[in-house]
Amino acid sequence: MRNAYKIGALAIAGSLALAACGSSGGSGSSASGGGGGGKTVIISTDLPLQGSSKDASDATNQAIELYLKQIGYKAGNFTVELKKYDDSTAAAGKWDQAQCTKNGTDHVANTNEVAVMGTYNSGCAQIMIPILNQDPSGPMLMVSQANTYPGLTKPWAPGDPDKYYPTGKRNYARVVTTDDNQGRAAAQFMAKDLSVKKCYVLNDNETYGQGIASAFAKEAPNVGITILGNEPWDAKQPNYTALFQKIKGLGADCIYLGGIFDNNGGQLVKDKVAVLGDNSKIPMMGPDGFTGYPELNKLPEGQGMYLSFPGLTNEDLRKQGGSAAKLLDAYKAQYGSDPASSYALYGVAAVQVMLQAISQSDGTRKSVTDQVFSGAGITIPADVSAIGKEIKIDPATGDVNVIDITIEQIKGNAETTLKAWPVTA
Amino acid sequence: MALSTPEAVETAPAKSDIAASHTRRWALWFAAIAVFVWVFYTFALPNLGSSGQTIVREWMPLGSVNEALVWVICAVGLNIVVGYAGLLDLGFVAFWAIGGYTAGWFMSNFFNQISNGFYFLSAAPPNQPGIHLNVWLVLGLAGLICAGAGIIIGAPTLRLKSDYLALVTLGFGEIIPQVFLNGADIRGFNLTNGALGISPLDNVSPLPFGPSTIAIGDASIAISKPLGPFDTTAKYVMFVLVAAFAVFVSLRIREGRLGRAWLAIREDELAASMMGVPLMRSKLAAYAVGAFMGGLGGVVYAVHNNSVFPDRFNFAISIILLAMVVLGGMGNVWGVIVGALVLAWFNSTGLPQFGDSFNQQFGTDINFPSYNYLFFGSILVLMMLFRREGLFPETRTRQVLQEAERSDAEELDGGEV
Repeated sequence: MRNAYKIGALAIAGSLALAACGSSGGSGSSASGGGGGGKTVIISTDLPLQGSSKDASDATNQAIELYLKQIGYKAGNFTVELKKYDDSTAAAGKWDQAQCTKNGTDHVANTNEVAVMGTYNSGCAQIMIPILNQDPSGPMLMVSQANTYPGLTKPWAPGDPDKYYPTGKRNYARVVTTDDNQGRAAAQFMAKDLSVKKCYVLNDNETYGQGIASAFAKEAPNVGITILGNEPWDAKQPNYTALFQKIKGLGADCIYLGGIFDNNGGQLVKDKVAVLGDNSKIPMMGPDGFTGYPELNKLPEGQGMYLSFPGLTNEDLRKQGGSAAKLLDAYKAQYGSDPASSYALYGVAAVQVMLQAISQSDGTRKSVTDQVFSGAGITIPADVSAIGKEIKIDPATGDVNVIDITIEQIKGNAETTLKAWPVTA
Repeated sequence: MALSTPEAVETAPAKSDIAASHTRRWALWFAAIAVFVWVFYTFALPNLGSSGQTIVREWMPLGSVNEALVWVICAVGLNIVVGYAGLLDLGFVAFWAIGGYTAGWFMSNFFNQISNGFYFLSAAPPNQPGIHLNVWLVLGLAGLICAGAGIIIGAPTLRLKSDYLALVTLGFGEIIPQVFLNGADIRGFNLTNGALGISPLDNVSPLPFGPSTIAIGDASIAISKPLGPFDTTAKYVMFVLVAAFAVFVSLRIREGRLGRAWLAIREDELAASMMGVPLMRSKLAAYAVGAFMGGLGGVVYAVHNNSVFPDRFNFAISIILLAMVVLGGMGNVWGVIVGALVLAWFNSTGLPQFGDSFNQQFGTDINFPSYNYLFFGSILVLMMLFRREGLFPETRTRQVLQEAERSDAEELDGGEV
C-alpha cells in the first residue's frame, strides 16, 4: 500500500527533476552544479502540531504553504519543497525532548534538506540548535519565528549562548525579538506612563515566565522602580489570597505577571483584584503569554490590565498595510479567517530569510548558513517582507533588527492597542 | 496460594536448574539479537536502496531503538521492585529524574562556579567551567545516588503495605520532579536551573575508561572521538551494554539468596518472615537495586537527549513503566524487556507511523497519537481479562495464578453442594 505512494511520489519527484533539468537546459546555464541550476532543495518546519499549541502551529504551516505557492516554490535558481516535522507528542500534549532530539537528527539525515524553520518553544530549540550545529555537512541553518529566550543568541545565563554552538560557528537566527526586550519595554512603560514606584513580580516557574519576569526585574531599577520581590506562583493552588495579602503588606503599587494565562492566570487575576483592588488603582501588567485569551478579556477583574506583545498583532499588521496586509488578506481568502496566532506571519518572515539565503548560496547546507552569518547578512526589503517592514539579521548574533513591542490594555471585554513602545537599551 | 507452597518447595531444586539453563540460553539470544540489530543498521541498511532505507528510517530509526533501550533499563529496574519483591511502586520516575540530573551535574559546564573545570577521564573540550567526568563513572555514581535515595524513601515507608506503600511512592514520584523544577534558587544556589533544565551535556567518549586522546611526549594520539549527536550506532552499542548489565544483574540476583528472599516476600510476607527472611533488609535491598537501574536509565536518557529538563519527569512515565512490566509479565525479565520495547516503540514511532499510513491510505484525517492512552488502556484491560500473568509470564507466576483459579472454582463448587 505504502509502496504505491512511494512509487507515486518518486514518479512525481522524477518528473519534477526532469522538468527542472529541461528548463535549466533551455536557459543555457550549463554551469555544472555550481550555480544550482534548478536543483531542488527541501526546507522544513519544526513545530508542535499536537496539544495546546496546535492551532498556532497549523496556522503557521498554512501561511508558509500559501506564501510558497505565491512565489511558485522558487528561491533564485532553486526549487523549494516544504517538509513538516512535529516536535510534540500526544502523550506529552506539547513539545517533547526526545522528539526534538529525534527531529534534530532526522533533519540532518534528510540529505536534501538545507534549513529548518522553527522551533516554537525555546526549550526545544535548546536541544536542536547544538545538533544542527554539529552537522558534518553544515552547520545547518535554523530560523525561528517564536523563540524569545534571550540566551539562545546573546549572553544571558552563564554559558549562554556559546554552549549551544559546540563548533564555534553560529547557525541560528530569529525574526522575533527577545523576552528581555519585552520585559524591558514593560518596565519602561510602567515607569514612564503609569509612574509606579514599587513593583512585585510573579512568575509561573517556566522557562518563558522566569525569563520575562527577570528581564522586567533587571530593567526596573534603571527606570526608578523598586522590585519588592520576584517569586513563582504555583499553578496548582486553588487561590492566591495569602500571596496577595503579603504583597499588600509590602506596599506594592504595581504587579507584573511573567508567565502564561494557562497556568491558572484567571484565579491569579481575580485574587489580585479582590485583595489589592481595581487595576486602575494598582496597575497590573502581563506579557504576550496573557494575550489572545477571550476568557481573560471577558473577566470583570481583567478590565484595565495592561499587556505587551513582542512584534505586531495581526490587527496591527493589517492596519500597517503593504505586503503583510496583502498576505493576511490572501490567508483569509484561502482559509476563511485570520491566522489563529500572530506568529504565523513571523513564520513566513523566517522562511523569507531562509529562501534569501538559499538563493544566494550554492545549495549546500554550509553555504546556506554562511549567507546568513557572514558579510552583510540577510536583508529582506520592506516591500516584500511578511511583516511589512525591513528585516535585517545581524550576522554576528542571528538576532533581528525589528524590535516591535505593542502595549495593549483590556478595555470593554477586548484587547485594545494603546501604543507601540520603542525599546531603548 | 498457600496450597501451592509445598509443591513449589519440593520441586524447587529441579526448577532452578532449568531456570539457570534457560538463563544461559536467553543470554545468548540477547547477545545474538543485539549483534543482529547492530549488523543490520551498520552493514545491511546502507545497501538496502533508498526506498528500503526510507521505510526503516520512518518505522524503526535507530534513534527510536536507543530510546526504547532507556525504557528497557528502567523497566528492568522497576521489575525488581514490583515483579520480584511485590512492592507496588508508582513513583519510579523519581529515580529516572535523579539519574538524569546526576548526568547533568557531572557531565556539563553547569556548575560554572568551578571556572576552569574539573576533568576526570572526560572527552569534553578543555578549559570549560563545570564538572566533567567520564560517562561510565557517572553511570556508577548515578546508580549509587539513586540507590541511596531508594533506601531513604524505603526506610520509613516499608512498614506500610500494598496500597499505602503505593501512595507514598506516588508522592515521592511527584515531589522529586518538583524539587528539580524549583531548584533554581535554593538560598541563592542554583542546583537544577529550574525549568530551563541543563543543556547541552558533554559529548561522551565511547571507550569504557580513559580520555579521548593519549599524550605521548608532545604528540597526542586520538584513540576515540567523542560521540556527537549523529553517532547513534556507537550510542546503541553503549546503551545495549548498560541494558545487558541491568539484565545480567537482575537475573543473577534472582537466583541467589536475596532473590529467593524477594520471591518469598512477594508470595507470602508473613510466611517468609516466619521462615527467617529479614523483611526490612530484603525490601530495602529491592528498592536500592531497582533504584540503581533507574539511575542508569536516567543517565542513558540524558546522554540520548544530550540534555535534562524537569517537565519530562511526570506521573505518566511511572505508569507507562508499570504498564511495561505488567504487559510483559511481572517477574520475568525477558517478558519485561519485550513489554518495554513494544510499548516504547508503539509510543514513539509505531502509532504515529501507523496513523500516517492509515490516513494516507484511506484519505482520513485522524490524529492517532492523541488516542495513545485509549490504546494503552484497552491493552491493559484486555490483558487483565484474558492474560493476567502478562505476555511472557514467569513459570512461577503462571503456576500460582492457575492454581488460584482452580481453587476458586473448587470453592464455588463446594459452595453449591
